Amino acid sequence: MITCNRCGKENQDHYKFCLGCGSELVKPAPAPAVESSDASMETARTVLPPAPMAATMAGELRTSSPAVPKARGGIPWGDSPKMPAPIPFQLPPNPLAGPSAGTRSTSGGASAVGALGGTPGPLRVTGGAAPASAGEIPCPTCGKMVQIGFAFCGGCGTRIAKQPSGASPAVGGPPRTMFMAGSAAPAPVAIPRGRLILIRPDGTEGGAHPLHDGENLIGRGQGPLFDADAYLSPRHAELSLGPNGVNIRDLQSLNGIFLKIGEEEPLESGDIFRIGQELLRFEVISPPQPLEDGTEVMGTPNPGFWGRLSVIVGRDVDGSAFPLFGESIVLGRERGDILFPEDGYVSGTHTRISLHDDRVFLSDLGSSNGTFLRLRQERTVATGSFMLMGQQLFRLEFR
Amino acid sequence: MSGKLCPTCGAEVPADNRFCGSCGNKIDAPSAPAKTMFFGASQQPPGRAKLTVIKGEGVDGVTYLLNATEHLAGRNEGAIMFPEDPLLSPRHANFVYRDGKLHVVDEGSVNGVFIRIKAPVSLAPGALFLIGEQLLQIDPSPPDLGPQPDSEGTYFYASPKRPSKMKLIQRLRGGEVGMIYRSRSDTISIGREGNDVNFLDDPFISGRHAQITMNAEGLITLTDLGSKNGTFVRINDDLALDHGDHVFLGQQLLRVEVT
Repeated sequence: MITCNRCGKENQDHYKFCLGCGSELVKPAPAPAVESSDASMETARTVLPPAPMAATMAGELRTSSPAVPKARGGIPWGDSPKMPAPIPFQLPPNPLAGPSAGTRSTSGGASAVGALGGTPGPLRVTGGAAPASAGEIPCPTCGKMVQIGFAFCGGCGTRIAKQPSGASPAVGGPPRTMFMAGSAAPAPVAIPRGRLILIRPDGTEGGAHPLHDGENLIGRGQGPLFDADAYLSPRHAELSLGPNGVNIRDLQSLNGIFLKIGEEEPLESGDIFRIGQELLRFEVISPPQPLEDGTEVMGTPNPGFWGRLSVIVGRDVDGSAFPLFGESIVLGRERGDILFPEDGYVSGTHTRISLHDDRVFLSDLGSSNGTFLRLRQERTVATGSFMLMGQQLFRLEFR
Repeated sequence: MSGKLCPTCGAEVPADNRFCGSCGNKIDAPSAPAKTMFFGASQQPPGRAKLTVIKGEGVDGVTYLLNATEHLAGRNEGAIMFPEDPLLSPRHANFVYRDGKLHVVDEGSVNGVFIRIKAPVSLAPGALFLIGEQLLQIDPSPPDLGPQPDSEGTYFYASPKRPSKMKLIQRLRGGEVGMIYRSRSDTISIGREGNDVNFLDDPFISGRHAQITMNAEGLITLTDLGSKNGTFVRINDDLALDHGDHVFLGQQLLRVEVT
């Protein structure tokens, strides 16, 4: 029997996921770290589509960037239907805390525990670039222990070691100073008022980008969290930290900024949103207007379509399009009016588009991964907001 | 068709029948239906054609005898005029004799001229066709060029690529796109039910109505599967018409009869 860490339900030994809550199950017996790591990583690989951006070392990506889009699996965050525990979104941020001994010693194999415990798992890097070394050094910025060979701090994203230009992190780079694990972290420098926290595909935090008072430029080349994401424009977004919140402005980026919607959001013709890996555009279907000479353009009599939802499959290229009619249309993977059965990041029922009070609205139906609406104009958001930029998911926090 | 209409129920009655096969009403003298109008002489010289408007339910409307060389059709112009049909351009089409054979010519109309197909036809990319009330367009999917970065080296994020061979686009009245169906196989069957694309609410579509196929070279063929109301394709060039052809101009369905 495996007792679920999350809900306490007892599950049979061969179960990988809890029957009660769907959480990933961790075998109680401490398996050898390396083997359990492999097994768990294998599971993660089969469940999650390749998500190179968030979970791979920046150095690798830089050398292989032309191949990246081919390998991309889409939005690298959250959980698949087979691993439906949306826990990480509720985790309190804890970047300054030193890693617990348990987290480190269980290695990547206990990443589910890491996620449940809220500790960013620095070892959950799939690239395999990190040498299997017991050595760790503290991050000069946040003090978190970082395994030798890692180029960036898992806690705050600071670049750790100097490395030859363009090369992957040197395997043999010895730590300058050996610290005992768990020793006191150096006092961090001035803590910025705001942070953009990267949420990894497995739900753990993958570092933070500091936000200072005033304007903060976000883009590829503006920080270690962003540099490897080929889907971020060099000047992508401007986040202005003011007294009343963070004002987000899209700097005419190619792929835009998507905000996770909390409640019903009004939709305008041309609005673009993302559910799972799907990039969708809503458009109003207007009533026919006669041409100048009085001729009407021929076509199927409109049976009551008030809108259309198009799947964007490329720049200026649409795939399927679905007419919208009636009071509401439900989007989902299994149930609803418009289905995306092949997208494991879309929940069974995910999003609703509805028409009432002569307006069209978008609302999330409690999906695991959320519904993200592309920013139409600049907008001030509250702390705790989730946003997608490029291929990565971020949580915005500020005091 | 040399039928007449039963004055009681409107059913078509063969010319030599003395009773209506539909309601049993006695048909006395071969009186012309009130709706029929004749241009010129009632006798046509051989080789000349006439156009009969089909009103639906098998009832014929006006018959136009094409005894001149050109016969313009449109909303505001020509001998064949339908002022109430907003889908017709003011000057829409022309029926002309060339080398003794009737041709239809699109006069640059907005909505074009459609002809019922009698055998499988090949469709060019972007070709429009009519099935029941549906105006549909076929488009082969463009070749996938793979991800291309913009001038700043940024890649465009899009939904996952799902290879498709062609798209079937529903064109709504007014020009808006309704549905787009992407086919991953090289055939699309169309009908009211049980097909790849179904129009359940279109009463003019047969259960299995038509099929589109793409061959290995990418050529697209449209085949009518014995539907009741037929499949119509928009013509690109002047087209010779034969006896029994059906032509759609706007909302007007015309039957060609050559004596």
